[in-house]
Amino acid sequence: MPPKNNKGGAKAKDSSAKQENDVVKTQTVFERAQAAYDLTRPPYDKEREELGGLHALSTVEKTAYANWFCTAPDELAFLSKKAQKELWKQVNETNRPLRRGQIDKPKPDQWGKDKLGRNIGDYTVQQYEQRIEKQGQLTCLKALGRSFASKRLYASKGLVDSSTGEVYKLTEEDIKAEKQHRKEMAALKKDLYGEKMGPYSTDPEWDDVVPVPQMEPEGALAAIAYPEDYAESMSYLRAVMAANEYSPRCLKLTEHIISMNPAHYTVWLYRFANIQHLDIPLLDEIEWLNGVALDYLKNYQIWHHRQLLLEHYYPTIAGSPDEVKRFARSERAFIMEMFAEDAKNYHVWSYRQHLTRKLGMWENEEHGELDSIEGMINDDVRNNSAWSHRFFLVFSNPRYSTPDSHATEADPKVPADIIDREIKYAQAKIKLAPQNQSPWNYLRGVLVKGGRELGSVQAFVEMYVQNIGNEETEQVHSSHALEQLADIYEEAGDKEKADLCWKRLGEKWDRIRLGYWEWKRRSLKAASS
Amino acid sequence: MPVTTSLARARRKVVFKRTPTTLSSARMATMENRATDIAVDEEVVSHLADPSVRGSRLPIDALYTSEPPIIDPLVTATSTAQDRTLDQCLPLLKAADSNIEYNANGAPRLHRERHIKYLETTIGNLPAPYVGADASRPWCIYWALNALSLLGADVSKFRESLIATATHMQNKTGGFGGGFGQTSHLATTYAMVLSLVIVGGESAYEVIDRRAMWKWLSSLKQPDGGFQMSLGGEVDVRGAYCAAVIISLLNIPLNLSSDSPASAAGLADLYTGLAGYVQRCQTFEGGISAKPDAEAHGAYAFCALGCLAILDAPHRIIPRTLNVPRLISWLSSRQYAPEGGFSGRTNKLVDGCYSHWVGACWPLIQASLQAPSQPAHDSGPQRESIPEFLSFYDREGLIRYIMSCGQDHSSKGGMRDKPSHRSDAYHTCYVLSGLTSAQHVVSAVLAEDEYVANMAWKVSPYSDPQLFDEQDRLNPTDPVYAIPQGKREEVMTYFLSKPGF
Repeated sequence: MPPKNNKGGAKAKDSSAKQENDVVKTQTVFERAQAAYDLTRPPYDKEREELGGLHALSTVEKTAYANWFCTAPDELAFLSKKAQKELWKQVNETNRPLRRGQIDKPKPDQWGKDKLGRNIGDYTVQQYEQRIEKQGQLTCLKALGRSFASKRLYASKGLVDSSTGEVYKLTEEDIKAEKQHRKEMAALKKDLYGEKMGPYSTDPEWDDVVPVPQMEPEGALAAIAYPEDYAESMSYLRAVMAANEYSPRCLKLTEHIISMNPAHYTVWLYRFANIQHLDIPLLDEIEWLNGVALDYLKNYQIWHHRQLLLEHYYPTIAGSPDEVKRFARSERAFIMEMFAEDAKNYHVWSYRQHLTRKLGMWENEEHGELDSIEGMINDDVRNNSAWSHRFFLVFSNPRYSTPDSHATEADPKVPADIIDREIKYAQAKIKLAPQNQSPWNYLRGVLVKGGRELGSVQAFVEMYVQNIGNEETEQVHSSHALEQLADIYEEAGDKEKADLCWKRLGEKWDRIRLGYWEWKRRSLKAASS
Repeated sequence: MPVTTSLARARRKVVFKRTPTTLSSARMATMENRATDIAVDEEVVSHLADPSVRGSRLPIDALYTSEPPIIDPLVTATSTAQDRTLDQCLPLLKAADSNIEYNANGAPRLHRERHIKYLETTIGNLPAPYVGADASRPWCIYWALNALSLLGADVSKFRESLIATATHMQNKTGGFGGGFGQTSHLATTYAMVLSLVIVGGESAYEVIDRRAMWKWLSSLKQPDGGFQMSLGGEVDVRGAYCAAVIISLLNIPLNLSSDSPASAAGLADLYTGLAGYVQRCQTFEGGISAKPDAEAHGAYAFCALGCLAILDAPHRIIPRTLNVPRLISWLSSRQYAPEGGFSGRTNKLVDGCYSHWVGACWPLIQASLQAPSQPAHDSGPQRESIPEFLSFYDREGLIRYIMSCGQDHSSKGGMRDKPSHRSDAYHTCYVLSGLTSAQHVVSAVLAEDEYVANMAWKVSPYSDPQLFDEQDRLNPTDPVYAIPQGKREEVMTYFLSKPGF
């Protein structure tokens, strides 16, 4: 029998309890395992290992080591009874401890790595215990999740709970509790393993959907490192779209994705399909949309969506003029809110034109657009979008205009007083800033619509252009007036004067367009020769 | 070509300072000469380009460095924005920034290598903030590949990756979405088809499922002649252009599938009523709007002209469809001085991207005014027949704007809207596209093969006056398809050889 070790543990007895506690706190998991391992073997084995071999030990310890090695149960079996007796005798004489335990030598990496790639063996014991506790919690939560899933399954099949005799029923509390559990699970998983559970995979409401993740081919061009939130919601979107699902949860999902990427046309189109299927009240959707529009001023999809909403709901209000007017006014109020940010936003203007046609917001109507547009032109007489809208408003009015009259041709149905009024309007605005091209373009457009000669406004144009070609006295307050004057001369057959205007435009008043003026000159010459 | 070689010799780097004198009379003289004696032109150019004659440096014409002759005192939001733009452009236009390298004409050099490097990053792996581009990845790819090709960089190395990416984004029901699992859209399909055409080769062309594409296009065709951008999407003039590009490049049969809404409305084929739709988009100003009733806009003018040039020869269809004099007047008003760049609408600011949208309209306008000349090989030896008018617009102004204000002069590279804006892939593509159209004279000639297209283009370098160094010349672009010259013929020839699907 191996002799009892009398000297082992002497050091431990010397340490105070407090010191020992401190060691435990700062000791790493690996150090603790190593210490435990050391307690299972004699000190000379540790020494041999640390010094790098048997040769470094004293003779007595070498002997002790050899004896210790041979007293291992497996080795003993090879020795004769006599040799064994000799061995034990020597062991006693050397008087060295002969410990032997059943623990394998610990390896520093045997605990694996944590989410940050840190060796868990390097954790302090305290940290390690906390980790184990969290793993335990996670296991419990998983078990709770399984029982929730079973209960839901039983409830869906109408099974009876044998312990209570009642039909299984999933209560609000159950769902609330499960949501809470998943939140805790998500936090634990993230904490322990760095695994992220997004809001959809943690929501029992989405359990029935198998997400379709985006698989990028090797070396895909312009591949985006999606934020996890976005990647997860897109995976669920692909799944519900493929299943043609239209439901409140899908509506919420589109809202979430739009908040991350408002330019995602697929999501917008799918959102509208949901609205159609679920018959969502118009005003609810508009209210939400207004917020999005103000957040993303340059976005295009928002305005197509709004147009689709308009098309979808118009039939429901078409019968009530009051409702149409009310809606027209509230839409205009929001449009003006958008214009406060950018008064030339093309998409908003396009929507405004569509709205005007749809709701009949013509200049002569009670809920008409004319006052609003005049206000905008007064704010900035150079806002060409406003001028453009005015032209549409005046010359596409179905009350008096020819339905398919082209914008660049005369419309004999437009009353002369309207033409007169618009000429006066444009002229009044030109006076404010003669070098502003918008009202000049407008004026010409009005004259064309009215089938009037450009020359009918010659006196007005000449207010801004004097003594063309006379080096000393030539005065031009508007290059647009000079351009118009040239066209007036051309119209009247006064080729020389027209040519002179274009020449002066190219030489001095609008030099960047020289190529164009020269082309005008040449065309006129070619036409007359 | 002699012009080219003499100019290459004339390359020089000079740090430029503003000089007060102007060149206006010289400029006028050049203009006059051009009309009367074309043969002198090349001589003048070589003469100017000869360093010994040119002397130290040319002054910059005051047209590009000082405020316009007429300014109204009234201040509004528009004039304030315009003033701010001039403030940021003028120092660059005056060549006043000593950190920038200028050529002998006081224009900055093209930072070719930087732009190439920048573009390659835009189709590499993009970080999370690019999530907003998730529905436009085909666009990112097209912008980069087209711009790289114009810059002369090798894009064939992207072929395999592009094929994998495109295959992944193609829907079984036809067309390409903005990404995997996204609804097919005409704009992203346009961008993806052009990308495949730019890298070229059978393996790239064969990615496209033409039968599905035909069915999908049929489903987008509207009773009013236009095209929806996607099922349930908007109808506008972009749709008309994108559809015409796709149909013509891929030789898609024109007849409508039986389930097309347009078929039910009695339309004959994919092109029926398309020109009529475009026509309804012309406005009282003469320009073209996105859809009927809206405001004239440069990008839509390009879409309209591009679409028409595909439907029939420009000299036939454009005058038949649009009021050309009003359109030319409006287009010409898009160029501002002193900036030199184009704006998109009346009283809006210059923006580099209109260098393409408006700039590419000019060759089509030119082609609409006269019947195409005979193909080049019929006109004898390499004698250039210079068109009567080199330009409706001021090429020098546009090139100055692009080189000075349109380039990001920092190490980032890329092109931009205006100096206060950051460079991006969209602007890099379209500013460079505009630059190459300003650097080349493109005129319509009769197509050698009637089936390939309604027209063919003859391209000759523009060099009058030479204000950029020859090494800063880009590869020429196709004015209708916005891809490097020659790519259109390759793909059309390929699909013409494939009867049916």
